[in-house]
Amino acid sequence: MSVAAAHSGGIADHIHPEPQGFVRRYVFSIDHKIIGIQYLITGFVFMMLAGLLAETIRTQLLNASGGFVSPDTYNEVYSVHGSAMVWLVIIPIATGGFGNLVFPLMIGARDVAFPWLNMLSFWIFPVSGLMLFSSFLMGAPAAGWTEYPPVSLQGAPGTTMWCAAIFLVGVSSTLTGINFLVTILKMRAPGMTFTRMPLFVWGQFATAPLLMIATTALAAALAALFMERVFGVPFYDPTKGGSPVLWQHMFWFYSHPAVYIMILPLFGIISEVLPTFSRKPIFGYKLIAFSSMAIALLGFMVWAHHMFTSGLAPFLQVLFMVMTFTIAVPTGVKIFSWIATLWGGKIHYSTAMLFALGFLALFTFGGITGVFLAAVPTDLDLHGTYFVVGHFHYVLVGGSLMGVFAGMYYWFAKMSGRLLNETLGKVHFWLFFVGFNMTFLPMHWLGFMGMPRWVATYDPQFQFWNRFESVGSYIMTLGILCFFINVIYSIRAGKKAGPNPWNARTLEWQIPSPPNYYNFKHIPTVYGLPYDFSQPLPYTGLEDELTDSPPAQLTGAHH
Amino acid sequence: MVEQKAQATSLGRGFWIATAVMAVAAVAGAIYWVYAPIESWVPSIILTAHQVDVFFRFLAAVGTAIYVFVVGYIVYFTIVFGAKKTDPPDAIGVQIHDNHKLEFWWTFFPTLLVVIIAIVSYLIWAEIILKPASGVVVEAIGHQFNFTFRYPQINGEVTDEIHLPVNVPVTLNLTSSDVIHSFWVPAMRLKNDTIPGMVTAIKFTPYRTGRYPIICAQFCGTLHSTMNKQVLVVEDEASFNAWYHGMQLKNAHVSNALPSTSGTIALTGGDAAAGQALFSQKCSACHALGPFDQKIVGPGLRGVLHDPKHPTLVDGDPATPENAAKILQQGFTGPMGTMPNATTNGLSDKDIANVVAYLNSLK
Ligand code: HEC
Ligand SMILES: [Cu+2]
Ligand SMILES: [Cu+2]
Repeated sequence: MSVAAAHSGGIADHIHPEPQGFVRRYVFSIDHKIIGIQYLITGFVFMMLAGLLAETIRTQLLNASGGFVSPDTYNEVYSVHGSAMVWLVIIPIATGGFGNLVFPLMIGARDVAFPWLNMLSFWIFPVSGLMLFSSFLMGAPAAGWTEYPPVSLQGAPGTTMWCAAIFLVGVSSTLTGINFLVTILKMRAPGMTFTRMPLFVWGQFATAPLLMIATTALAAALAALFMERVFGVPFYDPTKGGSPVLWQHMFWFYSHPAVYIMILPLFGIISEVLPTFSRKPIFGYKLIAFSSMAIALLGFMVWAHHMFTSGLAPFLQVLFMVMTFTIAVPTGVKIFSWIATLWGGKIHYSTAMLFALGFLALFTFGGITGVFLAAVPTDLDLHGTYFVVGHFHYVLVGGSLMGVFAGMYYWFAKMSGRLLNETLGKVHFWLFFVGFNMTFLPMHWLGFMGMPRWVATYDPQFQFWNRFESVGSYIMTLGILCFFINVIYSIRAGKKAGPNPWNARTLEWQIPSPPNYYNFKHIPTVYGLPYDFSQPLPYTGLEDELTDSPPAQLTGAHH
Repeated sequence: MVEQKAQATSLGRGFWIATAVMAVAAVAGAIYWVYAPIESWVPSIILTAHQVDVFFRFLAAVGTAIYVFVVGYIVYFTIVFGAKKTDPPDAIGVQIHDNHKLEFWWTFFPTLLVVIIAIVSYLIWAEIILKPASGVVVEAIGHQFNFTFRYPQINGEVTDEIHLPVNVPVTLNLTSSDVIHSFWVPAMRLKNDTIPGMVTAIKFTPYRTGRYPIICAQFCGTLHSTMNKQVLVVEDEASFNAWYHGMQLKNAHVSNALPSTSGTIALTGGDAAAGQALFSQKCSACHALGPFDQKIVGPGLRGVLHDPKHPTLVDGDPATPENAAKILQQGFTGPMGTMPNATTNGLSDKDIANVVAYLNSLK
């Protein structure tokens, strides 16, 4: 039986011998699991640095007159904070990190389609990250993470470094997108049809084309900005015949879909964590899967909602407004389905589950405030204010980052063989949750009342709430410290996890933690969705996975 | 497991009680937004600002109601369906995969809501955007790091304050002399970017007198956060007229005339720096700062008065400052198209002197 199953595995079926030596195994690794962990570690290191910048911002804003750092430094700090959080933290962790670590296991593959390309994708990432942070040595970019010309043309030399760094990390994203797309299309285990794929895989599947297509537009925009800054080629400078609005179109053609790059994989994580800890099938599997695809597609048609005040033709204002509204439908459907998944469950209050629930509450809030910004009449007031800052932190921190933590508490067991400490995890959750809301909720009314974003000093009438926010941000940071302590502690002394500590049903939990180099001794055959808790597991060919027998294929035969 | 199947079919009394509690909270939240004292947080001074507030209340009320239910059900389900200590470790929840009816309705209602929101926002959008230009015309020009303002009948620039008569329609033309800024008056619930090389207009009618802050809402350089010192003054017609004539008298010496297309222009004392600012506002849409061949609409103007390869201007006259001033004053139509005259370009004689000084400085 198992032999037959293994043979039907097709192209991914033969096992390569594991590379030997520390460097080949852990540094220049081609193993998707190791690469995933490399992405996560690098991403979290960049998160600490960008978080330090965030605290610099909040410390500056303790006083209406600023004073902690100079205005120039302040502008550099938030510009690098935003750029790093988007391109060096959330995107790499959500795609390169969790994507690599989990989805090949979930589809029963031995690796991604192009393991060497995968290694290249990863190694570009820390290099570009170091380039971005090194820009502080030469005068960092200071025009916000959006770097609108012409003011970015006046920026310090580090702005050019920024172009190069973001361009490179974009190349890494694009390669990852290609790799993941081909892997999902070509390397699913026998029987794993599209409608049997776990929802995390659907999340990555919807994200991959965004990485491939949208990132190219960013690359073009950055190349042009680079050429203008270095060689004076006038793409954006209006005094030389360029168009500053051109940048905005190209930048947002990427950066709106980028929001979905930063959220669809996390939707996937939530869709795994909720059923596992509710002991219930995900509600409305098909609708969740298809709505991800719908969001990805619509996501390409709304970019100019960031440009309602930029002299956009009136007709386009209406068009982009209406297109943006439509995204509320697939998003709402997802949220309702997740809530329905809770109904009638046997809910386990694990830390991963708490973060998933927190995600639902905070992401929904960000979604609702998004409607205010999509509607032209209210956006003409709120655009460029702290309302926007509040809105997108609800989406990207309350949403994406909460999802990242849910994923960490969930899959840490799979990557390390040990569980993260649950008590410390809950302390982390509550500090983070409370601190988060204190930091970002008041921003909405500050923005409405007249506080623009990207300011080193502000009107003294806003000082109370700014101080309140800063205190909140320190509490949030304490929560994140708990997380890092937890990781360091649990990696050595955490409880042993065993193969399946959560009684989860997707394929990655049916093999040892951490998995063997080759993932599966035999490629399993799949007979159904993974979410039917009342049924036996819908896989065959897994009988040997938890025994000591060597994999049948590991004979050194190698074509 | 059989027992759980049975449990699945009924929602139970607790569910309906919880739903009722949420409904009360949702209605209370929505009512709060209907009556929220928004205008005591930020006054509203134009008609469309009032409409934006109504729309804001509507969105906030609907959003609050939806949010109450979302969070309410999350919390309620999480508590009620928590696994008990007494449950066997392998206890599972109700095995339901979907419910097509429910899914239909929760796709249908958001769609309906989206359609309603789209229609309402379209109507208000039309009020704000689709207005004919009329009444008082003011120009606001963004600079690093202030705005300057111009009125057609007042020579030179008016700094620091825009004065407007109450209840008279206003057209505000926006542009910038350097980078992108954004002209925001929170009390108008309205902002628009000032973009170099581009003129955009906003139109509105103030109905309440008073002084209201103008804030730059687009990052524009080191001191962007200080770009909030200027004021929009709305006053009754008499005070406005008094201010306006005062400014006209005060600025009379700034330049002798309004844009005109005849008469000689005194070029001495032209200010190249002021000319540069004018150039990026008024000329850069058609002229590059590159060599003659770098054409946008008209020719590139770098070294236009100093280029040995082009000793004459497009009209055949020698490339001297005086002849350049003549082209600027009277305009010229040639093979490349039309160079607008001073009236169209909105250039006073003084402006022409400044721009020519600037062109002369380009070598
Ligand atoms: C609507 C487009 C447009 C605008 C705006 C415009 N110009 Fe021109 N300009 C032209 C065209 C077209 C020509 C050439 C006409 C021809 O020869 O066909 C020209 C010609 C000229 C010339 C003569 C160049 C030469 O080499 O002989 C000068 C000087 C000049 N413009 C200056 C200005 C200045 C200064 C401004 C701003 C105040 C300005 N123009 C605004 C279109 C424009
Ligand atoms: Cu967007
Ligand atoms: Cu500014």
